[in-house]
Amino acid sequence: MPASQSDLLQGTLDLLILKALTLQELHGMGVSRRIAQITGGAFDVKAGSLFPALHRMEEAGWLTSFWGESETNRRAKFYALTKAGKKQMHSESERWKRISLAMATALRTT
Amino acid sequence: MISRLRALWNSMFRRKLLDRDLDEELQAYLELVSAEKVREGVSSQEAYRDARLETGGVEQVRQRVRDIRAGGSLDRLSQDIRYGIRTLAKNPAFTLVAMATLALGTGANTAMFSLLDQVVLRLLPVSHPEQLVIVRETGNHYGNRFGPNTVSWPMFEDLRDNNQVFSGMFCRFPATVTVGYGDRAAQIPAELVSGSYFSTLGVGTALGRTIAPDDDAVPDSQPVVVLSYSFWRSYFDSDRTIVGRTIALNSHAMTVIGVAQPGFDGVELGDPASVFVPIMMKTEMTPHSDGLKDRRRRLSWVTTYGRLKPGISVQQAQVALQPLLHSILEMEVQQPEFTRNATAVDRQLFLRNRVELLPGSDNELRDYMRRPLWLLLGLTGAVLLLACANLANLLLARATAREREFAVRLAIGAGRARIVLQLLVESLLLSAAGAALGLALAFLADRILLRIYLPADAAAEFVVSPIPDGRVLAFVVGVMLLTSLVFGLLPAVRGSRTEITLSLKHRSGAHSAGGISLRRMLVGIQVALSILLLIGAGLFVRTLRNLQTLGPGFPTDHLLTFTINPSLNGYSDEETRSFYERLNVNLQTMPGVASVGFSTMPLLKGYAWQNAVLGKDFEGAPIEEQPVLNHVGPDYFATLGIPIVAGRAFTAQDVGPSKYAVINETFARQYFPGRNPIGQRFGLVDEMEPTSPDIEVIGVIPDRKYRDLRETPPPQAYFPYFQDAHFRFMNIYLRTHADPRQIEDEVRERMRQFDPHVPVVELQTMNEQIGFSLRTERLVASLSGIFGGLATLLAVIGLYGVMAYVVMRRTREIGIRIALGALRSSVIAMIMREVFVLIGAGLLAGFLLALALANLVRSQLFGLSPRDPLTFIGSAIIITFAAGLAGFLPALRASGVDPTTALRNE
Repeated sequence: MPASQSDLLQGTLDLLILKALTLQELHGMGVSRRIAQITGGAFDVKAGSLFPALHRMEEAGWLTSFWGESETNRRAKFYALTKAGKKQMHSESERWKRISLAMATALRTT
Repeated sequence: MISRLRALWNSMFRRKLLDRDLDEELQAYLELVSAEKVREGVSSQEAYRDARLETGGVEQVRQRVRDIRAGGSLDRLSQDIRYGIRTLAKNPAFTLVAMATLALGTGANTAMFSLLDQVVLRLLPVSHPEQLVIVRETGNHYGNRFGPNTVSWPMFEDLRDNNQVFSGMFCRFPATVTVGYGDRAAQIPAELVSGSYFSTLGVGTALGRTIAPDDDAVPDSQPVVVLSYSFWRSYFDSDRTIVGRTIALNSHAMTVIGVAQPGFDGVELGDPASVFVPIMMKTEMTPHSDGLKDRRRRLSWVTTYGRLKPGISVQQAQVALQPLLHSILEMEVQQPEFTRNATAVDRQLFLRNRVELLPGSDNELRDYMRRPLWLLLGLTGAVLLLACANLANLLLARATAREREFAVRLAIGAGRARIVLQLLVESLLLSAAGAALGLALAFLADRILLRIYLPADAAAEFVVSPIPDGRVLAFVVGVMLLTSLVFGLLPAVRGSRTEITLSLKHRSGAHSAGGISLRRMLVGIQVALSILLLIGAGLFVRTLRNLQTLGPGFPTDHLLTFTINPSLNGYSDEETRSFYERLNVNLQTMPGVASVGFSTMPLLKGYAWQNAVLGKDFEGAPIEEQPVLNHVGPDYFATLGIPIVAGRAFTAQDVGPSKYAVINETFARQYFPGRNPIGQRFGLVDEMEPTSPDIEVIGVIPDRKYRDLRETPPPQAYFPYFQDAHFRFMNIYLRTHADPRQIEDEVRERMRQFDPHVPVVELQTMNEQIGFSLRTERLVASLSGIFGGLATLLAVIGLYGVMAYVVMRRTREIGIRIALGALRSSVIAMIMREVFVLIGAGLLAGFLLALALANLVRSQLFGLSPRDPLTFIGSAIIITFAAGLAGFLPALRASGVDPTTALRNE
């Protein structure tokens, strides 16, 4: 069952977007589909969350955008990671690993 | 950081472009999603619809992206502001009333605050004014003292040379001198200053140089003068060649060495000095008195200032200076001028004197104005609070009326926070507009107030800056924010609690239960505050009336007075004596003048010459208050209309060698109890020589006020002025046949012909002089009266509004009552009961408040108690009547409800 948006932990969406963009630049829908793919369909990010996040992250300097051509030959806005974005992803994923380890440990304890 | 700034820049100035981009981006997204669906086998039309559905509303997405953008909140704010302005403009009546109320409230507060700031709070315009302190000796002062914060010249030297806490010290003495330049002569205030004055203050010059320590090393050696900037501008027309020229001060040639920096008028705020002269020139500047050269240790006349070394607090300095003062006092009690007349008790008390450090900007004017001005600020604060309560009430009513609008906004997805914010923005708009208007009002009001407050010549020097300074602006902004919160928050929070379905169902919001108890409470507070202000107004107005009707005890109509000082022109004692004798004869023959009185001390100007007296019969008796003394001319009592109740007045023949005195009844009662005072003798204590009782009492006058109208007449003794060895100031009183103002010009002209070099000072009628001396009382009485009236009006409007609302809400109920046979009078009674409960609760709270605050105003009152029952009852009657009337109108309307219409309307 896909997690609804409100179940996303604060910061999770950011990290997922950063992760989705590590291999290649993508347009909005591409990001959404890539997240669904890498999370095995657990997260279906809707436009109402996706676009505000993309714009916010671009303003923060983690992403940069450019107009390119989509697979359907349509003009679309593509997003790519910046240097700051890569750094952000590393520190965020470190943090996330610590949290998930801690959570896993906590849940294992009986 | 940079990317954020760029984003902010873009979103502020390239919003159109960003929006277009966003539209295109979202459009592309939709197309991509539907393309995906087509690939999955959905028909192209359905695919697009599905894509839209999945996106969840393109408009919402757009709005969310815009909200998240840098400056998105700014965007929303500007939206709110534009919406707020539109809403307010749609309701011009409400907006105007609200703005006017706020303008009055803020204006009154700002006017009072900037007056308080200029007169009481402001520090001296010198470098680091907070380090500057006045050094004063408190306790049992022995000897003579000119002014409350003074020490003797030798003590200043000892303190200056031996302290460890000050980086610099200086002293000053204010004097009045006659200035002559070209063929003009005028009396001006001068400041005699020690050589370290300018350097310690950190004050420089606009032209030339300041007085340096070298200028102030040897008595009478350096006839130099520094002009104040404003005096240089007004008297010398900003003549830049003035430096190096010579002007005459008290007929002594003095070289102008500089013009002080603009804005610096000496260290006494509100009492500006025109020239600065080295204190070593004291003999030339103040003829006939010389505390500088005779070095008497107990003759206190210089005000001494110190600049605290960095890091030393006032407390530390006070503690560190105490041993130094004590060692000085130990030495002083050994001096002959102390031992001659002092007793062992005197010595004991004297050695307990302490050092006290006052803020450098303290002075008598400030002390005197502090309380009335804080009081008035408190009153205006209460008025503002009341105005806020009224506005809150209005806004509550409006919020109720706007429930439908809020419901619609809530229904289409606005958050409640957004609605609170929207309402607060509207309040803020109102109070900002009110504050801007109020600032303008305050500027006008301050000009008028200062004109009432200060003597005409000082008001010209005491310029109110048209540009409000930072502190006043901060005050206004603070008041603005506070008021909009006070009157806006309650209605805003209430407005946001609108129930969507309920409000949309009804045709109007008139039926919701919205905040009626809240509004009742607000009205109760208003009644309480206005009764408080009315009581205050009553007390101050009656105080003024008491002072005016009681008067000084002698007829003040047809009395003209002025002051002259020929000794400042270098006239010797002999010349001055002859000047006065000739002047007396000259004025007596003037048409329109009935009689002429001379006195060396002015009446009812707050001054007094006091001295201890001794006599055979009352040596060592404890004296509550030293008698007040005066030298007067032969016709003084007759001119002032003071009768002689026993013995006789002076005659021109009472010239030495024997000394005579006329005393008042209190003097007779205190010093010669149970005896006939005529023929008794007493003497004036003089620390320079042993005293003998050599003055004979020849007459007794009734008790009359001397220093001011508030005092209980002190013991008084009068001596013939020609017995005085030195002639300095003379106050001249002319009793006229007709209105004294008609001959003012003739007096001026006659004096100019009599001696053009002696300027006439403070020529005015006695009533004008008394009027001026009551300016604080008049200011407080008239302003508190205005504020009280305003407060009552606001409370009445508030009460009317609430009652009208109550009646409207209960129309149906009242209709049923009437239909069931209730009398119209009982409907009126029912509504009026509610009105009187409100008024009663307000009155009770107001009374309690007034009783609790009574002590704050006690010192401002005269001839009545701050808990004066008459004032309390009178104010209660006014409020009850006015508010009762305001409640009666809605009650009358209620009684006129037609049951059929009322019920049908439901």
